[in-house]
Amino acid sequence: MSFLALEPIRVLLYLVGICAFVGGNAAYLVLAERKGAGRIQRRPGPNEAGWAGILQPLADGIKLLAKQVMVPPGTDALLFRAAPLMVMAPPLMCLATIPFGDTVVARNLNIGLLFVFSFGSINVMALMLGGWASRNKYSIISAARVVSQNVAYEIPMLLVVITLLMITGTMDLNEIIKQQAGWFWNWNVLKIWVNPLMPVTFVIFFTCMLAETNRAPFDMAEAESELVAGAFTEYGGMGFGVFFMAEYANIVVGCCLATILFFGGWQSPFGALSDGLWGPIWFLGKTYALIFTVIWIRWTFPRTQFYSLLNLSWKILIPLSLFTLLLTGAMMKLPLLFK
Amino acid sequence: MNAFPFADYLVTAIFALAVGLTLVGALVAALSTRIIRGVSGLMICCVGLAGLFYFLNSPFLALMEILIYVGAVCVTIVFGVMLSEPDEPAEPEKPGRALLWGGTAAAICLAVFLGIAHLAVNAPWATPAKLTTDGSVRAIGVSLLTTYSLPFELISVVLLVAILGALVIARSGRTKE
Amino acid sequence: MSLKSAVRETLTGFKSLLTGMRITAREATKPIITVQYPHETLKMPDRFRGHVQLILDPETGKSRCTACGLCVRACPSDCLEVDGIKREGEKKKSVTEYKLDFTKCSLCGSCVEACPSDAIEYSKAYNVVSRDRDDFAKMDLVKDLDAKAKVWAETHPTPPAAPAPVAATPGSPTPATSAPAPAVATPGSSTPAKAAPAPVAGRAEAGTPGSSNPATPPAPAAANSPTPSSSIANAAASTGAAAGATPSPQPESKTT
Repeated sequence: MSFLALEPIRVLLYLVGICAFVGGNAAYLVLAERKGAGRIQRRPGPNEAGWAGILQPLADGIKLLAKQVMVPPGTDALLFRAAPLMVMAPPLMCLATIPFGDTVVARNLNIGLLFVFSFGSINVMALMLGGWASRNKYSIISAARVVSQNVAYEIPMLLVVITLLMITGTMDLNEIIKQQAGWFWNWNVLKIWVNPLMPVTFVIFFTCMLAETNRAPFDMAEAESELVAGAFTEYGGMGFGVFFMAEYANIVVGCCLATILFFGGWQSPFGALSDGLWGPIWFLGKTYALIFTVIWIRWTFPRTQFYSLLNLSWKILIPLSLFTLLLTGAMMKLPLLFK
Repeated sequence: MNAFPFADYLVTAIFALAVGLTLVGALVAALSTRIIRGVSGLMICCVGLAGLFYFLNSPFLALMEILIYVGAVCVTIVFGVMLSEPDEPAEPEKPGRALLWGGTAAAICLAVFLGIAHLAVNAPWATPAKLTTDGSVRAIGVSLLTTYSLPFELISVVLLVAILGALVIARSGRTKE
Repeated sequence: MSLKSAVRETLTGFKSLLTGMRITAREATKPIITVQYPHETLKMPDRFRGHVQLILDPETGKSRCTACGLCVRACPSDCLEVDGIKREGEKKKSVTEYKLDFTKCSLCGSCVEACPSDAIEYSKAYNVVSRDRDDFAKMDLVKDLDAKAKVWAETHPTPPAAPAPVAATPGSPTPATSAPAPAVATPGSSTPAKAAPAPVAGRAEAGTPGSSNPATPPAPAAANSPTPSSSIANAAASTGAAAGATPSPQPESKTT
């Protein structure tokens, strides 16, 4: 037991747990997505494999694993093979700093927020290299879209995060959560006495998260109707599977982050019952509620056109997030002038 | 932190990994003939550098290295590569000229490298008695806005000029001839 | 664009997004409306055009086809093949072979239009599947009709054309079990001409006191079925009865 308590061993065990968490989430979020899509379109979704389709992810996984990973001729074989790994590693890294409960965290960094964002930014590079190495025009168009989309949406997202940093004064994710203790009106999303536009800030963050993870209605990267499968077109078998898992892992990371930054992380909504096992329960409950919203949004809205996607970022989100940033600064500093 | 039996080896191994990544990345970036692999090498190099910054007790800088250089600069370079027209392959130069230019470049690089190495070895580095800053966000913010406020402002002016220049270049294509 | 209109546009846009999400949320709570295909199938509407099939006259339990050949002439794709014989005691010919080449059929319906005696119609079969090409190239419509005739015979206890056996054997259990037996107990023979004496034999057996055991007659019919069970998977037709169908003419008219 003392051996297990050693820091490197503990972190390793957490990482194994995170890998399992991500794998299970990716598998069952696909099922949840298909089920959700089915319900919204008034059909049952996958329901043949096992009870209510509960074994469907297993069947999908076996099918993908059994397929040969083809490297098409003319591709940059090295980059082609490296891209799926590069796209999968960052979300795993990010989850290592996410506090699922007061003490349930692999490695709490005092700059955890920056950590998540810096590793999240590698995702773009991986998708782009995958698209480029595929030597396929659809993949390259998709890669170009990924970049311009991510560059456009990184700005409002970071501006929103800076707004939050001004409020919290720390990048320690656990510290940010602890500041939101108490009743649910202490959550950042409802702190309208700090900044009346706090809910708007959350909407900006959520929109940017959808765009960064290439989710519908911003899934320009794998716009099936025009780009086959975008950057993943040439990938088969588990290469494709890893890209797919990474997409869901990124959604999980994004929703975890939104939970931490805006919804009080593992804090319960009424100030009690947030220690011990309750912490992870609250945290996962909030996170899955957000993930469900992501699925819900995907099956509600059609894919936007690309220029309107960019217009949304440059003409609406960036000015709006700048405005909230300035407003927050003013709200925080103006009272000091009148003291 | 409780003692881990192989902690020293682990730390050494990770440090070696960081140094190795930096060197390999730099070599790939410099030697690769395909530009996309060159950029990938640059990316690996930046990740390795981030590791070195981490070992220098500056995790903030390490993460900024990844965020800015991997997440933004490399991406911008690849984006530029994607959007640019492929050049006609340049005519191979005559062996004599190539040798001359190559030799000159190698000599200059060697001279610069030796000079820096000489400086690094012989300069009278003042060892601080303690860590001047703890590398935290707060310390960096304070020093940026007090000690280094002039460079900070100048950098923002440079960025402003860059944005204006980009706008001028982007607009020029749209004006009526 | 002024700032005011931009703000208004953003707000209305956001409101429309919320409206959309409310609609999908509402739809998600409603029951499922899709048909779970392998487990349940749709009933095709009346005007659905499947491949043609022979109509079973609900009164006689036979085809109304007189093998006149007008449908063959009307077919633009030349995919019908009709043959019939003239039985004694009947005014018109009755059909013995009606083959449809479904690989050539364009479902134009000219045959149905042309038929003077309303003997063919569009079937409601929409999931017509087989592993054997011949099931489509030589679609045996008479066989399908016989399968239906068997079902018909089971549900129609007293064929009005054959009252004799019922009267002859008053000790038979019920008309419901004994009467259909002759209709079914036609020993399979590939050529209709030779089949003519066979029903008489079957008739004679059925007419004997052995008719109190109605289970026996269908058995030889099933065993003698000329083709192996390569019946077309046809959800609209009653599938189970199709296996033992034979291309034989209707026997009871013969015996009277």
